[in-house]
Amino acid sequence: MHNHISLVKILIEICILWFVCYGILLFARGTRGVYVLRGIILITLIFIITKQLGFDRINWIFTKIFALSILAFLIIFQQEIRRGLASIGQRRWSRFFLKETEIISEITTACFLLSKKKTGALIAIERETRLENYIESGIEIDAKVNSELLITIFTPNTPLHDGGIVISGERVAASGCLFPLTQNPKVSTTLGTRHRAALGLSEETDAIVVIVSEETGGVSVAIGGRLTHDLDRESLERVLGNLYRPDSKNRK
Amino acid sequence: MNNWIVNNFWIKVVSLILAIITWFYVNEELIKERRMAKQLYKSSAISQVQNPSHGKKPVK
Repeated sequence: MHNHISLVKILIEICILWFVCYGILLFARGTRGVYVLRGIILITLIFIITKQLGFDRINWIFTKIFALSILAFLIIFQQEIRRGLASIGQRRWSRFFLKETEIISEITTACFLLSKKKTGALIAIERETRLENYIESGIEIDAKVNSELLITIFTPNTPLHDGGIVISGERVAASGCLFPLTQNPKVSTTLGTRHRAALGLSEETDAIVVIVSEETGGVSVAIGGRLTHDLDRESLERVLGNLYRPDSKNRK
Repeated sequence: MNNWIVNNFWIKVVSLILAIITWFYVNEELIKERRMAKQLYKSSAISQVQNPSHGKKPVK
């Protein structure tokens, strides 16, 4: 009986550690912190292995490096850590009350109103891969998604209209964000920078990128490096409805 | 259910490996600490038996 209780305790402890490790890895994914994290994990593993093998001098060196790297990590990524801790309190619990269809409807409405006026737009919707790098390249907004806001952002000759916006969960995280241009040589040369940026981002991440063409007013979607042109309202809603799940995305 | 497992599969595997390694490492460290504490307790008890005045204030 005592053995059974001990075994359950061990399993619970490992599960808690698993959850913490998974949370940290998931949070770091898509941010510049992932490389530092990889380094720290590598140093930690070498530290443990050398300790087990009894290589005292090597172990001493790695102990010092490990202590320094933790300190460096805290200093370099203090902003990310602060944001991560803040998000624990802000995001998770509100996610139970998300209105996914409302957000999709707001995005679709904005896209087709912009399309009517032939105003260009570039909207990246974050899924599993975090888009922190791209959010940091723009201007932080952190506002509730609504069509009026999206239309205002993309209004020509306003300070925020250049670049793309990133929607993270139920919030417009940032605008004026810079996305990487696709390097795919097979991409048609007739495509403009906006479409190329959408393709580039969808190649590097799992984000859904919605594009409104300034020339034709056509609405396209880029997912996984593939572009679907000239969607109508129903098709766009269907695509977003199938792929966009703000309540099941990365902050588990 | 299937989606829950497949979703971020490799991150889940890596984090499980890290969790198990961390658990075993911490467990070993705890065992060492306890062993050391026991040894210290034993040695202090022996010195108490051999020298009962050890650690006590001299009576005037």
